[in-house]
Amino acid sequence: MLRYVAKRIANYCVMLFVAITMTYFLASAFMDPRSNYMSRNPRPPMDSINHALDNANINDQTPVITRYVRWLTGVVTRWDWGKAPDQSSVGEAIVSRMGASLQLVTLATVLSIVIGVSIGVYTAIRQYKWQDRVLNSIATFIFVIPPAVLAVAVVFFAIEVNTVAGSRLFYVTGLHSYQGENFGLWFLDFLQHLILPTISMTLGGAVGYHLTQRTYLLDEMNADYVRTARAKGLTLNQAIRRHALRNSLIPTAQSVAFSIAGVFTGATVTESVFAINGLGRYFVTTIGQNDINGTVAIAAFSGVCTLVGALLADIVAAWLDPRIRLN
Amino acid sequence: MNGFRKTHDTILSVHDLRVNFASEAGTVHAVRGISFDLKRGTTLGIVGESGSGKSVTSMAIMGLLDSNAHVEGRIDFEGENLLEKTDAQMSELRGKRIAMIFQDPLSALTPVYTIGQQMREALVTHNPDMSEDEVRARSVELLTLVGIPNAEQRLNAFPHHFSGGMRQRVVIAMAIANNPDVIIADEPTTALDVTIQAQILDVLRTAQKETGAALIFITHDLGVVASIADDIIVMYAGRPVEHASVGEIFSHPVMPYTMGLLGAVPRPDQAKNARLVPIPGSPTNLVNLPEGCSFADRCPMAADICRAGEPQMEEIGELGVGSETAQAHRVACYRAGEILAQHMTFRDVYGMEESIPSIFADVPREQRQMVLNVEHLTKTFSVSGGGFLRRRVGTVYAVNDVSLDIREGETVALVGESGSGKSTTLLQVMNLAAPEQGSIELFGTDVAAKMSRKERQMLHEKVQYVFQDPMSSLDPRLPIYDILAEPLKVLGMSKQEINTRIGELMELVGLKPDQVDRFPNQFSGGQRQRIAIARALAVNPRLILLDEPVSALDVSIQAGVLNLLEDLQNKLGVAYLFVAHNLSVVRHLASRVAVMYLGHIVEAGDVDEVFDHPQHPYTKALLSAVPVPDPEYERQRERIILDGDLPSPTEKIEGCAFASRCPLYKQLSEEQKRVCDTQRPSLVGGAAGSEGAVSAGFADSLSTERNTDRIVACHWTNVA
Repeated sequence: MLRYVAKRIANYCVMLFVAITMTYFLASAFMDPRSNYMSRNPRPPMDSINHALDNANINDQTPVITRYVRWLTGVVTRWDWGKAPDQSSVGEAIVSRMGASLQLVTLATVLSIVIGVSIGVYTAIRQYKWQDRVLNSIATFIFVIPPAVLAVAVVFFAIEVNTVAGSRLFYVTGLHSYQGENFGLWFLDFLQHLILPTISMTLGGAVGYHLTQRTYLLDEMNADYVRTARAKGLTLNQAIRRHALRNSLIPTAQSVAFSIAGVFTGATVTESVFAINGLGRYFVTTIGQNDINGTVAIAAFSGVCTLVGALLADIVAAWLDPRIRLN
Repeated sequence: MNGFRKTHDTILSVHDLRVNFASEAGTVHAVRGISFDLKRGTTLGIVGESGSGKSVTSMAIMGLLDSNAHVEGRIDFEGENLLEKTDAQMSELRGKRIAMIFQDPLSALTPVYTIGQQMREALVTHNPDMSEDEVRARSVELLTLVGIPNAEQRLNAFPHHFSGGMRQRVVIAMAIANNPDVIIADEPTTALDVTIQAQILDVLRTAQKETGAALIFITHDLGVVASIADDIIVMYAGRPVEHASVGEIFSHPVMPYTMGLLGAVPRPDQAKNARLVPIPGSPTNLVNLPEGCSFADRCPMAADICRAGEPQMEEIGELGVGSETAQAHRVACYRAGEILAQHMTFRDVYGMEESIPSIFADVPREQRQMVLNVEHLTKTFSVSGGGFLRRRVGTVYAVNDVSLDIREGETVALVGESGSGKSTTLLQVMNLAAPEQGSIELFGTDVAAKMSRKERQMLHEKVQYVFQDPMSSLDPRLPIYDILAEPLKVLGMSKQEINTRIGELMELVGLKPDQVDRFPNQFSGGQRQRIAIARALAVNPRLILLDEPVSALDVSIQAGVLNLLEDLQNKLGVAYLFVAHNLSVVRHLASRVAVMYLGHIVEAGDVDEVFDHPQHPYTKALLSAVPVPDPEYERQRERIILDGDLPSPTEKIEGCAFASRCPLYKQLSEEQKRVCDTQRPSLVGGAAGSEGAVSAGFADSLSTERNTDRIVACHWTNVA
């Protein structure tokens, strides 16, 4: 088991290195940080532009190979992921935004899984009954709404509530606004900010888990071994709970493992709608601002998250299903 | 334990049970009035084809039908009507008083729990006070009873560590865990090999003896029930059509359908003496049932009265000839009186058909052209380890040094348990490429030889393939015309020629040429297999490879397809290489047979010669495991029951591959055993037939003349 994990990690490191290197060369080929300075009015002198670009190691006049070696040496020896065109440190930017993403996405992910899987199980057991039909219709409806529209709808609804209540119950931007020292008030303020993005993300996420879990469980419920379990004297609900449910959770657990990667890489759309400075927005911003080092760093970070998710998914599957052996 | 409760009092009684399902096509009348009484300690066989309602009946007794089933009638168990009980009340009975064994052991156990956990559940559900030690002891006791060696250790194994036969034993152990009064076995051996089937039937007998339970044995195979049942109910289209003791059913069947079921099946113990007579038509649709007797459309005896109203089950009273039991013989047939009075048999009812003489009938085998000649064919699969490098950790010899030859107009069958390499051999021939080792020669051309594209295509045309399952081997989105035209287009035929050829083909396989615009799902299973055969015949092949061509078909349909294959061979002189696990079918269709075990041919020769005088201990065991539809014969028969399963093909075996399961090996002296363990027996000419009066000694050193072309791979054929 440990040997297997070690082997897989070594394998992933090679994959990551290749992927990051390719991203570096692609980003260097397509992005033009010089234009950030050239388009300024008044245009700064050429020398200072070059100086700034050299300082960030993104000068297109230096051969890309030289820049790459310099960048790689920095990463390996000093864990320095380079600078943005405006000379700010990429590493620091990511660390500060990671916190925001974590606060935003964790709760929504946990709620999506718990609510989605529960409703999936509930509706599968009541297949074609009215509860199943109603919940499925709602789920399908939510499923087809783009996340941005859903988020805006939640904002609109919250503002209506605020207006009716006459005071600001919900904040629609940012994650924090309280400046004092009292932890209780700070936490209340945090919740007031968090609740709306969480609702909009949970709605979207839970629907996905609901629909897939329902299908997985229905597949397993008709399996021969559930019939065997009932023939032993288990009631329908016991047989489903003890036999079908565990098998149907295997694929769900795998997709949960993958979604953990998403907790760190953030939620671009939700962050944009609620003006939260998370990693999702940062990714879009780096591309827009010709930030070669930022783009590469965030690509590397999501690569790591995805591979960790894949490894977790494998371990979880092997843990739940004795037929899978990790070697 | 309480094994001998009062026998012969009724434990379960079913009255006029009716089950309907709502479906998109309309109401499916799955069971339409079945009644029977089940006595303690006895076995009731329910026999019928797919859609006869036999499984639905058993699920109704267990209370495990889908919620969209509408059930009427009564099922009395100890004076209580089971149909009025709730799911919670039924679950107190299920597994404790009434237990069930299912068809497919591979999917009947939950894959994520150990055998011990699943055994435990069967016990604890009904005995919550049992201590862990008691549970463990009882589990080991039960597993030992059903013949699982090292039961103590196997408790921690998962189902996927067990073979199909072993898993079925576990299912039986769970079923008898609480000493039930009734055990329902729904096709418990259908998914298993014959040798394993014989073991499981034995285990079921033991289980019944231990618990004193009544057994309901559901099957489509009359041969299997002949040896185990006391009474038999034959069902057709949801209704019982005949109910009698097992002896009566087999010796004096009355209902033409029962006769057809018995008569349309070839016998494994008798040489082919006549052409099979199939039951005409195809099984009745359960949505749109005809007005009268549901079998009338297929019955040669049907008269006007049969189409007017449905006959009821009636006792035939004293008319039953030579009935050795007092058991009443009941039948639902308007013409039963005439059939009994005139002592009509299968032949009288269904008539006789003459076979078409073979175009090669007068040509001795040696003078016919060689169609396929396989020499020392070997095919291995490598087993690779996991991890990054996927190192090769072992080699499986799927086919090991196999030689066979087929001449024009003859059928060679390959038989053996699953995993013996039959189908792999077939696929190697189909490949038309140089094999790993050995050679394959088709019509005198070595397939390994360099050929132009055109030549290779010509060779391809001469070899065609018919698959097991006609449901999945025909593209459901192509009309029959396109399915048949495809190979012809490859030949570059004109549209006019194709049309003519398709008309010919449809008539050749006994279908109406105007049905070519239909899709495969508009045909029944038997008709679909005919289409698959027509497709194979389209390009005038000289060799057809048949992979279990009738095993997916209902008994009453099989005969028609077998007859078709026989006629085509006689008319066209095409040769067949045929793989089947059903040895009765093999005996009927094949002229020569090769018995395979773990990739080796262990015995080969003329089919009657091999079946009547088997020499290899494996062949003997295989043949003795085949159930024969004759209770008299079954009762007298000595069975050789093989221990265990096929060894893992990755195992490296120095000597004889069969030694680990060989009944003969156990009787040998130490010195003789050593020969088996160290030397691989080679295929040599066996002693001829029954008069093999050769003194005991090495078969290798036999100097008797070969008066048959029988070959056997065993050191000690003359010892036994």
